[in-house]
Amino acid sequence: MACDPRREDYLRLGLRFARTLNEGDPFASVRASSSFSRRYAYNREGLPQSDADRAFHLVAEATDLIDYQLPFASEDAVEQLFEGASALLEEAVALDAHCHDARRMLGAAESSSFESYYRFLADGAEEVREDCERARTSSDNLPESQRRLAQSLSMLPFLRWRASEASRALICGHYTKAAKICEELLSMERTDPCDVRFTYALALAKLEDDEQLDLLARQCEQTLGRLSVINPWMLLARLSLTFKQLNEKAALGYLDRILHLYPHAAIVLSNQDELPDGVFARLAVAPFSEDELILAVSEASVLLQEGRSMSPKGALGSWLSNQPRVKAALDKDPRYNHRLSAAEQDSAEQASQDEEDPRGRSV
Amino acid sequence: MDARSELVMRCAHKRALQIGPLSNQAFAELMQAVSDSPQDFIDDEAEQSFALLGDVLAYYKQSLLGDEFLDDESFFRARKQRLSLLRERCEEVVTLDSSNVDARLLLVLSSDDESNEQLRALIELEHELDGERGQLEPGNADAWEDVFLRPRLRVKAAIVRACLDSARYGLCVKKADELMRLSPSDELGARLSCALAYARLENEAGFDELDMRYDRRGNAWFYLARVLLMFKLDRMAAARRALAGFNRLCMGGAYALLRPTFVDTYLPDRPFAETGSFEEAHMAVHEADPVVVDTPDFVGWAQSQPDFEKSAVDFAQRYGFDW
Repeated sequence: MACDPRREDYLRLGLRFARTLNEGDPFASVRASSSFSRRYAYNREGLPQSDADRAFHLVAEATDLIDYQLPFASEDAVEQLFEGASALLEEAVALDAHCHDARRMLGAAESSSFESYYRFLADGAEEVREDCERARTSSDNLPESQRRLAQSLSMLPFLRWRASEASRALICGHYTKAAKICEELLSMERTDPCDVRFTYALALAKLEDDEQLDLLARQCEQTLGRLSVINPWMLLARLSLTFKQLNEKAALGYLDRILHLYPHAAIVLSNQDELPDGVFARLAVAPFSEDELILAVSEASVLLQEGRSMSPKGALGSWLSNQPRVKAALDKDPRYNHRLSAAEQDSAEQASQDEEDPRGRSV
Repeated sequence: MDARSELVMRCAHKRALQIGPLSNQAFAELMQAVSDSPQDFIDDEAEQSFALLGDVLAYYKQSLLGDEFLDDESFFRARKQRLSLLRERCEEVVTLDSSNVDARLLLVLSSDDESNEQLRALIELEHELDGERGQLEPGNADAWEDVFLRPRLRVKAAIVRACLDSARYGLCVKKADELMRLSPSDELGARLSCALAYARLENEAGFDELDMRYDRRGNAWFYLARVLLMFKLDRMAAARRALAGFNRLCMGGAYALLRPTFVDTYLPDRPFAETGSFEEAHMAVHEADPVVVDTPDFVGWAQSQPDFEKSAVDFAQRYGFDW
């Protein structure tokens, strides 16, 4: 939920709308409620909203530009998208000085290094907590039907702030700190709306703490169900730990599970692309999708690229991409073969052009 | 590795066994005689091959001179030739005496394999040796005192370093502990890699216990490991103090950290360096590299601390290094 700002915007306005309804007239309320979705879709601006709601909507728009459009934009469009997003975020802060999502996202743009962004988040966390807790307390008097949603929405900016702080701590090499933040967030909100258990698993793998990783898996299984433990972050954390312990058999077992569970996994594990992290939150992707694996592999580069290696992929990264079973799976993947044959065709065409055009050689 | 003095000790011990119990003074005289002319005391293939290996290493060391005047391409070409010659000679030594552990170790170390493959090969060598001669168990005496065990301790020390190189920090601590139990004097410096591994694992209790076990006799590895540990634990005031200590106590330490340069594979073990010397700082920074790189803004932070960069520049100017 927290990872999708559009949905959160919808819930915020829904809640605001519900608060305007006359409880004494249940029929009118039901009629009005049933029209809310339509009004949200076609006339969002006409719905009642506070400055904080307007600011959050601007955050949702900025997120769309910066997290979902920017990675796919052409080079010419990058600057424009970036400026557009910054303007939206600045407007959000002008409307609501307590719009912590906007403040956090602007902080990311203004920080010159990983460490300075981490420092910004660590130094600001307490203020954000106090603010969000105040907002949560102010919902205490709402009717039961609204209170729970209002309370959980009010804490989300804090959870996201701390989740960003944990993932920055992981990138900066402050692993104990990252693990501690994740543990705190999981004990605060067992449903784990920001998926900090993923960051937690990577931090525990960096600390080589398998006992705590087992405990995390057991806790998640109990509170979030069996499937919550089967995700590529956890699998890569386990794979890395067994690799570090020279337990190749177990490491290959985790590799097999990844190859089996995720479409085009061999291509993803061979490329090991690094993506920019989502600025609002971790990008929303479907469980068990190729995108989920791409995201996890990118975040797990802290595990893959570690150690001295002649390859920039690092000790575990180059071991993974050179595994015969990864290469075998690559050969079987039609997309890989298609790409390969297209590349071969290109180079054959290029070669024939070179032959026809004697200048080709010197170009 | 001081191959000559080990050869002398080996030959003296073997000869002493042949001639029966010797008084301390008689043994000292025997040592002197062997030292004057080791060749006359070489009675078997094992010592013959050990002496030959000493020559191989001396030749290798000699061939390193003048490297600093080569450009990168010529340097790496010369290095490749040097290593392949070393391998050929080690193979000759192993053909003469297949039990020569140091030659077998050098064959693995000079392979230039990926850190992961190298660690596997070293562990395989350790297994082979355990199978051939039985596992080493900690006894009453320090294993280093038995000169015939030293080659096997060198294999274990190489494993400890390879664990650090291939980012296996828990294993590094475990293997270093094993070696320090066998040889508490830790002549081979397993504690140095171990200190860096504790820093990377952010294990402050482990680091402190290790530091205390060796009477807090600081050196470049421990000073640098403490800076890394404090930085990683986000205890910035302590990190700044530790960095100032590293800068003050390690000559050229700031320069070594801000301008890291190539350090070749240790063949077969870490060269000797005086405590507080630039050579020591240079090696410590090189060995800490996997941990430093894992902490992306660490070097930038160090550089921005008052006087740190200035100290590096001053060192470079005083000793004629590039800046």
